[in-house]
Amino acid sequence: MREILVVAEHRKQKVADISVQMLGKGRQLAGQAGADLVAVTIGTDVAGYARELSRYADRVLTAEVSGMQEPLAEPSQRVLSSIIRDRKPFLVLIGHSSFGMDLAPALAVELEVPLVTDCVDVSLEEDGLRAVRPVYNGKMNAVYSFALAQTVIVTGRVGEFPVGEGDRRGEFQEVSLPFGPLDYKRFEGYTEQEAAGVDITEANVLVSVGRGIKDRASIELAERLADALGGVVACSRPVVDYGWLPADRQVGLSGKTVKPKLYLALGISGAFQHVVGMRGANMIVAVNRDPGAPIFGIADYGIVDDILRVIPVLTEKVTGLRS
Amino acid sequence: MDVVVCVKRVPDASGMDALVIDASRKDIERRTLVAKINDWDEYALEAAAQLKEKAGVSLTAVTVGPDEWDDVLRRALAMGADRAIRVDEDMLAADCHAVSTVLAALVRTLPHDLVLFGAQSEDFGSGQLGVMVAEMLGIPHAALVVSLEVGEGSVRVDRELEAGALESYAIELPALLTIQTGVNRPRYISVGGIRRAMKKDLQIMSVSELGLTAEMLAPQAVLERLETPPRGKEAELISGPPEETAERLVGILRNAGIL
Repeated sequence: MREILVVAEHRKQKVADISVQMLGKGRQLAGQAGADLVAVTIGTDVAGYARELSRYADRVLTAEVSGMQEPLAEPSQRVLSSIIRDRKPFLVLIGHSSFGMDLAPALAVELEVPLVTDCVDVSLEEDGLRAVRPVYNGKMNAVYSFALAQTVIVTGRVGEFPVGEGDRRGEFQEVSLPFGPLDYKRFEGYTEQEAAGVDITEANVLVSVGRGIKDRASIELAERLADALGGVVACSRPVVDYGWLPADRQVGLSGKTVKPKLYLALGISGAFQHVVGMRGANMIVAVNRDPGAPIFGIADYGIVDDILRVIPVLTEKVTGLRS
Repeated sequence: MDVVVCVKRVPDASGMDALVIDASRKDIERRTLVAKINDWDEYALEAAAQLKEKAGVSLTAVTVGPDEWDDVLRRALAMGADRAIRVDEDMLAADCHAVSTVLAALVRTLPHDLVLFGAQSEDFGSGQLGVMVAEMLGIPHAALVVSLEVGEGSVRVDRELEAGALESYAIELPALLTIQTGVNRPRYISVGGIRRAMKKDLQIMSVSELGLTAEMLAPQAVLERLETPPRGKEAELISGPPEETAERLVGILRNAGIL
């Protein structure tokens, strides 16, 4: 039987959303190809994850590895290369998460198989697989094919693939691959961001600034607007990278996920890594000089202008209304 | 200690120009776009330059590309690289595996205790190169590094996970790290600094000097074409001078019960 293999990842004692989404895509392609959908979970005490995965997969491979509560790339690579050599799945799906980015390129090189990362679509055409991934910050898509490859590895973007029904009862199979601890690369711990001052996930109105704010001094303009609107200031990654706002104000994949009533995106281009953290807002208003900025593809209302021109006038109007 | 940093030249696609697919359908029209060093690579270079400020570090910057790519190496030299090497090969149509093959072959010829890459590129953003090169070199790696501390024969790193979480490792050298933005604040490079870097020699190599054949560089993942992606529902645009757009936006917010 042909197989599609999904590499499952877990965080905080549950299977990661991205892995369930990969199983959703895998199920669709497996149906089309008449293939089995196989999930693999690797780590310490994985039985619980395996049960969850069995709702989506025809078979769940469990690889117990001692001392590995968190998914770690290199031990996982050792297990996976052995499984993939043995089972020869025609497609391996991995989430394009931090774990997937640490794992997939090394796995592809070890197995000498093609890899396409951060895909938003995978399809089965008459002459083989196609994978589609955004390039140029989402302004273009690139379409890939694979010449005569027995196995292809694809990593998929979070939130782009449907979650399956979860009504299966897949069988379990233990995989035993004993190996010693890695003395040249020692895992020293997992830490979560500490809760600090302002909690942007609690705010009804977020005035969120990006690279377009230009300098640290202009953050104050955004703060005045936020005060007038009764909201707080949040930001996209570059603003934290430049040290203009603390990390707990960051919205996006590596920051917070927010769902305010109003999300005012000011000088934010709308890179996927940001959008994934704010697309659940009730109303999104974007101001950006670039009419082609991807943020206008998800905003409800847009103003094509320099934010440094718009913010002071808007602040004045809102303040005038309130007083 | 020998540090190697791999850098890439990218078109600045963040500007206001709409991107246009060229006649090959596999690339964009680049003529109208300004080229720059990849953002992530600048952070990697800064990390290396900061290591160099401590004694006994030799820093080599490398790239693979045609001769106009020399400008990113000049920038690397201005930031503190001691030498710079370009493999003279246009690899725009190549896949990550092929580019990694060239870089791994090059790094193998250099002393390397620590190899740094940007975690991804601004243009294609695959985030594959560094980790692939590590595997080809047979050295340990960590991707998406947001802090690093080099000790005696090892490096301690934090990797960025989702939602602000981190994982920490102690890794024996030689090792390869891919660097995430925000790990440091890249230094300002003056025009004078670039001008001084123009006087330094660049070393140019060919893929055949590295013992590589066309067959070894054949793509595994074949780029078929670029497409303009479908956009979601477009925003309703409010146009006019700030006085008018702000007024209308306030009206919209009032109707929505936000104001």
